[in-house]
Amino acid sequence: MNSRAETTDDDLLIRIAGGDREAFALLFAKFAPKVKSYLLRLGAPGAVAEDLAQDAMVSLWRRAASFDPKKAKASTWVYVIARNAWIDRLRREKVQLAYRDLTDMSEASGEEAPDAAVAREQEETRIAAALENLPDEQRQVVRLAFFEDRPHSEIAERLSLPLGTVKSRMRLALAKLKVQWEQYR
Amino acid sequence: MTLCHHPADEVLVSYAVGALESGFGLVVGAHVGACTQCRVKVGALEEVSGGSLSDLPDASLGAGALQRTMARLGRVPAPAAIDRRPLLERLPLRPRRWVAPGVWVAAVDTPHSRDNRVYVLSAKPGMSTARHRHSGAEFCTVLKGAYRDEVGLFRAGDFAAAEHDLEHLPVVLPGEECVCLFATEGRLKPRGLMGRIAFALADV
Ligand SMILES: [Zn+2]
Repeated sequence: MNSRAETTDDDLLIRIAGGDREAFALLFAKFAPKVKSYLLRLGAPGAVAEDLAQDAMVSLWRRAASFDPKKAKASTWVYVIARNAWIDRLRREKVQLAYRDLTDMSEASGEEAPDAAVAREQEETRIAAALENLPDEQRQVVRLAFFEDRPHSEIAERLSLPLGTVKSRMRLALAKLKVQWEQYR
Repeated sequence: MTLCHHPADEVLVSYAVGALESGFGLVVGAHVGACTQCRVKVGALEEVSGGSLSDLPDASLGAGALQRTMARLGRVPAPAAIDRRPLLERLPLRPRRWVAPGVWVAAVDTPHSRDNRVYVLSAKPGMSTARHRHSGAEFCTVLKGAYRDEVGLFRAGDFAAAEHDLEHLPVVLPGEECVCLFATEGRLKPRGLMGRIAFALADV
């Protein structure tokens, strides 16, 4: 893009910041088809790319007042708004979360000291004992999750239980384990 | 403060073009927000991308696209307010889940692929998290506090990417709890009973 075109885009953006709808229409004609093209390349389906290109242009209108030609080129600025429209759209779509996570509690050192290893083993023995004290139906759910690393949805399927039941059994088991666990602290 | 651990350049490129998987992009963004050096790089990449935008072929817009868009414009554009609170306060977190004494996790309420997990983990000073192996990539940005592992010292803002089959034992430094934002791909493979229990409990 040559510098004259850049100047024109800058001017348009500055006019848009002042509420000039004609300037907006000109910038729309230039950038909206490019933005849609970019969104299609990111993998957005056609209808989504169309919606998002329009969303991005609305954002551009709203944010024009914060455009500063000394800080960014107009094309960079439009690009960032388009990219963020895509990311924002993804954020708005709720996707079911499935996550799990770590932790253990050995001593604070890079390498595990021998006595820390012993302490950890003792802790594990206590936990195993705590597990044994759980009611059968909770232990069954918990074992599949703990020892076979199965997601809750799969446990539900395996035991022919509703997912909600698996989760509530896990919660009950967790509450009991937590009490027993913290008795040892 | 100058940060020591940054994403690889190819990660920054993917981030700048919006091609990182959601969740992973969030973790990189947490670092970029805290790191002047990476912000400069990302800014340069965005400038290149902006130039490329003009080189793309025009996609045809639906009939009346301009009219529909114009109809949505407010009368006078107002600059959007910027939320300047620390990222940890801005992240939409699901309820905290107890994992072990002094440790909690909370899923970040953000969409991501079914096989990935995006969450915040907090561990108290001196705590070591479970020794674990990775079955896939893991991105992490420290939001608060500091931890040390085989690679080095990671302070608030530092970024860590773990690869497949790295055996990993992070330890939180004394003084302050350590809060990290994670995106992980696939399931972690914890070693030891404690680790397995912690993992299983967090899957709710
Ligand atoms: Zn950096």
